Amino acid sequence: MQKDDLTFEDNLKELEEIVEKLENGDVPLDDAIEEFSKAMELVKACDDKLKDANETIAKIVDENGEIIDFNIE
Amino acid sequence: MNSEYLTVSEITRELKGVINPNFRHVFVRGELSNAKLWRSGHFYFTLKDENSQIKSVMFSASSRLKFKPKDGMKVLIEGKIEVYDKNGYYQLYVSKISEDGVGELYRAYEQLKKKLSKEGLFDENHKKKIPNFPKKIGVVTAANGAAIRDIITTIERRWPLCEVILFPSLVQGQLAAYQIADQIKKSENYDLDTLIVGRGGGSIEDLWCFNEEIVARAIYDCTTPVISAVGHEIDFTIADFVADLRAPTPTAAAELAVPPFKEIKAAINQLNSRSYRAIDNIFKVNKQKFDYIVNKNLFKNPLEMYQPKEIILDNLINRLEISSKSLIKENMNKLKFIKNTYVLKNPDNLIDKYHDKYLMQINKLELLNPLHTLKRGYSLARSEGKIISSADDLKSGEELEVEFKDGSVNTKVI
Repeated sequence: MQKDDLTFEDNLKELEEIVEKLENGDVPLDDAIEEFSKAMELVKACDDKLKDANETIAKIVDENGEIIDFNIE
Repeated sequence: MNSEYLTVSEITRELKGVINPNFRHVFVRGELSNAKLWRSGHFYFTLKDENSQIKSVMFSASSRLKFKPKDGMKVLIEGKIEVYDKNGYYQLYVSKISEDGVGELYRAYEQLKKKLSKEGLFDENHKKKIPNFPKKIGVVTAANGAAIRDIITTIERRWPLCEVILFPSLVQGQLAAYQIADQIKKSENYDLDTLIVGRGGGSIEDLWCFNEEIVARAIYDCTTPVISAVGHEIDFTIADFVADLRAPTPTAAAELAVPPFKEIKAAINQLNSRSYRAIDNIFKVNKQKFDYIVNKNLFKNPLEMYQPKEIILDNLINRLEISSKSLIKENMNKLKFIKNTYVLKNPDNLIDKYHDKYLMQINKLELLNPLHTLKRGYSLARSEGKIISSADDLKSGEELEVEFKDGSVNTKVI
């Protein structure tokens, strides 16, 4: 499994948890501000990841096991 | 008379008695025509060949049919034939129907399915979770088929963050199963998150490689989570049973393999605005609490807290003043009284009184003075300094000092 993607998934999960915690409301103000900044960082991290999105790279593994570009005709 | 004439009902009943018991379990081969699957789920059709036809019905067919019935389709049927009294038809009641020509394959399929199921190849607890956010997806299918195209375009549309690596393979014919199994094994060396194995739709013979044991075992042994994607919707292939997840088409497989980009983006945006709303709310709640405290009387009129105490204090001071004044006054009076007493006013009186007493005492003492006795002619005898008051105290020869009013002499006792 790819580390980067675990991070994306983990970030998203953590973000959800923080938002739920904040929405629950039962957080001391100082902690809430800290959690909120953390949430903003996570949103940015997730957004940055999505910005990386380009065209899907398609490859094909040839008879020798080499990976070469693959174009759909 | 007319007793040899039977009523329609009677003759029908007799026919029924002849036909029904003798055709309780029949196997018929034929071609479908006038096939109609009613909304009720019952399937009505005419089974025919070149020369004959027979009305047929399959009740509650929709849940049991393993293929889409079409006119002209050759089928194998198991069922019974009964007379239908009302219109005098005899009818074929179908309990099982399958496509003709696939009988052998179907038996092989059932056998393999049973065997692998027994071995545990379909066990739910062996199934791996498909990653939510894959980065690399492998596809085992034909390089020139629609399947790979569908998969790539779907992934591109949904989650372009993902790379697709094709492991090309034949997907029909004699060699297909071996190639598919080989490519599944090979794909393990490419650090994939998910592997899609499949092909587009086709006849049951075309799809047969996905019912081969070698493919089933390769999928089972594969450490990458596998999605099966064999293009057929009615039946399951063995590959579908073994795979960690089954998709009815390659496009569906791609949809199951990657998350929807737009939805994820929307979800992040939503989490973002939810964060703002939540923190805003927390601020509001805290502000309210603050305002509440600030608006309490104590903060509004801090003096109010002191005023009652001040009153008490004033009261105490007042009482202290009053009581101390009266105490002083009282003591002043006492002092004044003492000052005004007779003794203090006339100290001489007291002295005089004591002086008189003193003189009286002196006179008394004067009376007792032994010298006065001597003056009157008495004498005093002493021996060795001690006054002799008895004759028994004296021995003869002892010296005595005799004192007179005007001096003393030494004598001796005879």
